[in-house]
Amino acid sequence: MRLTRLTLSAALVGAALTGVVAAAPSGAASTPSLASCKTSIKSQEHQKGYLTVATDSPAYTPWFVNNKPSNGKGYESAVAYAIAGALGISKSHVKWVVEPFDASYAPGPKPFDFDINEISYTADRAKAVSFSTSYYDVQQSIVAMKGTKIVKAHSPAQLRTYQYGDQIGTTGLAFINSYIKPTKPARVYNTLDEAVAALQEHLIDALVIDTPTGQYMASAQIVDKKNKPLAVQVGQFPSVGEHYGLLFQKGSPMVGCVDAAIAQLRHNGTLAQLTKKWLGIYTSVPLIKP
Amino acid sequence: MTDSSEGTGPDPARLYLPRRKVAFAGRRGTAVSAVSSVAVIALLVSVFFWAPGGANVRATFFSFHDMWVAFRGDPSKGLLSVGSGLITNIWMFLLSEVLVLAIGLLIAVARVSRSPVLAPFRVLATLYTDVFRGIPILLVVYIIGFGLPALSLGAISSQSPAVYGVTALTISYSAYVAEVYRAGINSVPHGQILAARSLGLTYAATMRRVVLPQAVRTVIPPLLNDFISMQKDTALVSTLGAIEATRAAQIYSSTVFNFSSYVVAALLFLVLTVPLTRYTDHLIARDRSRRLAGAS
Repeated sequence: MRLTRLTLSAALVGAALTGVVAAAPSGAASTPSLASCKTSIKSQEHQKGYLTVATDSPAYTPWFVNNKPSNGKGYESAVAYAIAGALGISKSHVKWVVEPFDASYAPGPKPFDFDINEISYTADRAKAVSFSTSYYDVQQSIVAMKGTKIVKAHSPAQLRTYQYGDQIGTTGLAFINSYIKPTKPARVYNTLDEAVAALQEHLIDALVIDTPTGQYMASAQIVDKKNKPLAVQVGQFPSVGEHYGLLFQKGSPMVGCVDAAIAQLRHNGTLAQLTKKWLGIYTSVPLIKP
Repeated sequence: MTDSSEGTGPDPARLYLPRRKVAFAGRRGTAVSAVSSVAVIALLVSVFFWAPGGANVRATFFSFHDMWVAFRGDPSKGLLSVGSGLITNIWMFLLSEVLVLAIGLLIAVARVSRSPVLAPFRVLATLYTDVFRGIPILLVVYIIGFGLPALSLGAISSQSPAVYGVTALTISYSAYVAEVYRAGINSVPHGQILAARSLGLTYAATMRRVVLPQAVRTVIPPLLNDFISMQKDTALVSTLGAIEATRAAQIYSSTVFNFSSYVVAALLFLVLTVPLTRYTDHLIARDRSRRLAGAS
């Protein structure tokens, strides 16, 4: 009795959160229906009664705000709560844990239901873990310090001549090495903050980073004492089909239901709305070729 | 009758035999150690087969395909070669070793000096060894690697991460090696110094011709020990963005989500350090047998 009531109220809160009241069509034919997921998900949770969601710390803006995933602010935090809502899980039953990126793909049982940490899907990675469908389609962009050479000179041939740097394991780094192919090997740092420090000290000419993070960096992170931006987003590269997916334990039974939730959020415009709210509009970022 | 059980205790003469000779005495001994070695190794390896996650670990840590790709690198996927990364490690530690040997010796000599004129250097040398043995090397690497460039001091601030790495390793390890040298210097009996001075040698000449040659020979094994440690610590320079073996392995692992690249890096480091480890053991054994020969 008690259980039923809890489930029902959770479902109502979920429906209210996403602004969807009645049966929305689910995405792919193979994914289970959201209605059945609302019950089945309970038995699949890592910690019963909670949806355990992981991300790295520090969690970067604009994906999270103030390094506090549980505040519901920032694109990934908002998406995680929207998914929970679609699955009938109330906000108070979403639990956040810290999972360093390097640890997220280690073999063995994972201490979370899914990890939301700007992790790009690749076929190689999908051999070790399971991914959800895309919750964000990514384009890479170049960030450099104002007044440096690369801001003006960035033809494909010129791009090869610069010293790049990036955080380890990022698709920005992979993009540098496989598309830009610079003559000097890119420098690779443990964290994004170190890569930013290197950029500010002119140890590297530019870093390659997804457009939203790059825009935050150039407009709000690399600033002088009066908050005047010192860096500039030189431009973004055309899409190479990259997308972010939630990371699950390989073969996790939850993937189907989460995919159904993402399909609904895409269909009813929630994802587009959250993108607009947290990630801004990037029409101002010029397109350049690698 | 190789057994000495007939007496009340072990044969005293046997205790002085090098252990290897005792363990391998006779054909039976050889067979027993071979069987026991195979059994122990088989037991350890079997863990990877009967453990519940064994197949998973074999696929993520010991996949030959991944090891080979990680070793060679794959530019089309943005993967750098762990093998060529190792070359960076090699030149970094070769350069640091030479610098550490020289700077460590200078610090040690300054610390043991007695002249009142050199008092400030004594204090500085003591301070130096205290400070840099007390700070984790990783922090020294960060401070040098991100601090010097921030100074915007022309050439000093525009070096490659590997150069800053060599600088940091040299600074840290000079402190350790100075103490090793000092122990060696103190191990030379004071009477020898008195004798040398009474023969009319200056302090500098006594140091150079009498004390240091003996001191250095005594401390070669501990010095090599520090160098083995330093070879491994070149991996810390990866934090500055230098692409060496560990970092190339890390890039592979985080791109493909497979840890076999770390095993490749570990094996390559073994190839570097094992010869030096064996050589150190050989020197220690030789030194020991010489001393025993002298004692009898």
